[in-house]
Amino acid sequence: MTANLTLAHLYPDLMRTYGDRGNVMALASRARWRGIDVDVVGVTRAERIPAGADLVLIGGGTDRAQETIGEDLRGRREELRDLSGAGTVVVGICGGYQFLGHRYVDADGVAIEGLGLLDVTTVAGQPRIIGNVRAAATFGGRSFELFGFENHGGRTTLGSGATPLATVGRGQGNNGRDRTEGAVQGSIVGTYLHGPVLPTNPAFADALLARALAAPGRPDAALAELDDRLEDEAHRLARARKR
Amino acid sequence: MPQSNGDRTHDAPGPDEPSARDGLAAALARTAGRVLRVTGAGAGSALPGLVVERASPGYLRRRAAALTDGIVAVSGTNGKTTTASMLRAILRAEGIATVGNESGSNLKRGIASAMLDAPDAAHLGVLEIDEAALPALVPELRPRLVVLTNVFRDQLDRYGETETVANLLAAALRRLPSGAAVVANADDPLLWNAAREFGAVGFGLEPIAGAVGERADAEPETCPRCGARLEYLGRTIAHLGQVRCPACSWASTAPEFRGRVERQDGVSAITVEISGHEVALRLGGVHNAYNAVAAVAAASLLGVPVPRAAEALRSFAPRFGRAEEVRLDDRPAWILLMKNPAGAGVVIDEVVADPRIGAVVVAVSDNVADGRDISWIWDADFERLSAAGAPLVPAGRRAADVAVRLRYAGATPLPAQADPLAAMRSAMAACAPPSGVGVLATYTAMLDLRASLTRSRRGRLEDAAR
Repeated sequence: MTANLTLAHLYPDLMRTYGDRGNVMALASRARWRGIDVDVVGVTRAERIPAGADLVLIGGGTDRAQETIGEDLRGRREELRDLSGAGTVVVGICGGYQFLGHRYVDADGVAIEGLGLLDVTTVAGQPRIIGNVRAAATFGGRSFELFGFENHGGRTTLGSGATPLATVGRGQGNNGRDRTEGAVQGSIVGTYLHGPVLPTNPAFADALLARALAAPGRPDAALAELDDRLEDEAHRLARARKR
Repeated sequence: MPQSNGDRTHDAPGPDEPSARDGLAAALARTAGRVLRVTGAGAGSALPGLVVERASPGYLRRRAAALTDGIVAVSGTNGKTTTASMLRAILRAEGIATVGNESGSNLKRGIASAMLDAPDAAHLGVLEIDEAALPALVPELRPRLVVLTNVFRDQLDRYGETETVANLLAAALRRLPSGAAVVANADDPLLWNAAREFGAVGFGLEPIAGAVGERADAEPETCPRCGARLEYLGRTIAHLGQVRCPACSWASTAPEFRGRVERQDGVSAITVEISGHEVALRLGGVHNAYNAVAAVAAASLLGVPVPRAAEALRSFAPRFGRAEEVRLDDRPAWILLMKNPAGAGVVIDEVVADPRIGAVVVAVSDNVADGRDISWIWDADFERLSAAGAPLVPAGRRAADVAVRLRYAGATPLPAQADPLAAMRSAMAACAPPSGVGVLATYTAMLDLRASLTRSRRGRLEDAAR
């Protein structure tokens, strides 16, 4: 074992409706397969994120689960700001992505405050955006293709502080208008993609790991090549799919 | 979520009057079904229903009203087909003919088709109904009894979340005619919270020793009333069990009909005691014990004494991808439908426990009827399947994604096979006779496999094998 990596999974008991366990498995396994000692810590309501966390993942839950954790998560603004300021990579997926933004305006026009860590705003819309996605992404100086499945009512718009994670070729992405998908701001990343997105797209998982391992004050750990032929084959077939 | 609009009535001849057009429309619709079957364009189970409702609007409502012994509607996430099928078997043993939609075509058009095919002697309907379609169909069918099996997350892109489904079911119950009865799973906190307001009669199972909770395939275990974490006093499978909420004191109530699992034996057997009567079922899995207790409870409300209902289930044979035994190249295989994480968890348990199974095909497709988002396979406990060590063959439209899933589960899967028979043969080649193959399949992957077996001269479905 070489470098140690701490991965905090927020609300594993509640925000786990859309296969987000797979995202945690992808990050942890792909680090372990390279001989990196990984600590996965589930953090639920009223628990603190470990101070040395290298990666924080927030998944999506049912509307009810998101209501249930809302207050607790909003209370983590300083905690997450400090962590990301120190280089911790924070990843929000679907509902978690929306929470990282300034606010979510629901169908009645009521604004639900977010964490304000990503310069994005989400407004409820109809109909839901549902379907397969193919997109071209860039993160941490790496470019890669993303495949996934989107299922969201919210339309997310990026402010000047955030850059899109990807440009969609198939599917609708953030809002169905500007071809953008997801957002990046420093070491904070959001995406709407299920799949789950990380095991389905190992290059994205590796880009997040590389960024986490390159944080200031960490011993540099280069990521060795892995045998991803199964994933490559899944990508080849996804590329060929009509819908 | 499609907006239901069940209150709308636009029947020309008055809601319950047999229309002169009905006879003609029915003949037309049956012809359409025959053409479809003869040309091989499809099984023909939904189209006739569509035709008859177009040709004679209100047909379903009138035909339902004409069933003098009324209608039993079976809905919920898992177990609809088997529970309805078990109830029909119990009634058959009593000499009662029923109308049913046994092929699992459970939207309005499939139910109208079942009515078209109904024997004249049948005066009682036992219909499984899609949970999203139920609120709109209740006013049309006016059931005398509704049986609700459970609520699990399933095809989130189609049904929405578990709370949404529980709300849909409650909306359906609100529309029931007065005097109608409800039977519901008292071990499912979210469902029971919704159903007991309507005076539901509960069914359930005694806790099973060694059942563990909070597995990856379970639903979030929060109080249906206040959202606090539930305390489990006993569990059976997934989130099912007896609970209490430490925060608001919401608690399960003891069900009127409670079964006890006595023995489990792989995919083909489970023994359950229901109110003092032992039933050795010919299909395995705790979920089928639930289905049996639900069917017995429903039969009891229809007037069949529990001992006779339990007795009738002894000869109940599995069918249509529910632990169905098939043969290929003269070797056995068992098809087990998996639709969602919790459902996959129970069939994985059965396969792992069955000594006859030497290799396993995992077939996942992403057609609308499967759920187009296959993310759920990451919440299903394929780790347990992998740990059992049997050779695994990824299959279905998303075979390549299954291979990735199995890699993370710690397995080294055999090459993915898009063709169902090739997948089964690959699994058979990986284990020596007399071992057979377990096939875990999503709905359309299961249909594809059955269709391929029907076409192949080397394949046989259960009906042909017996």
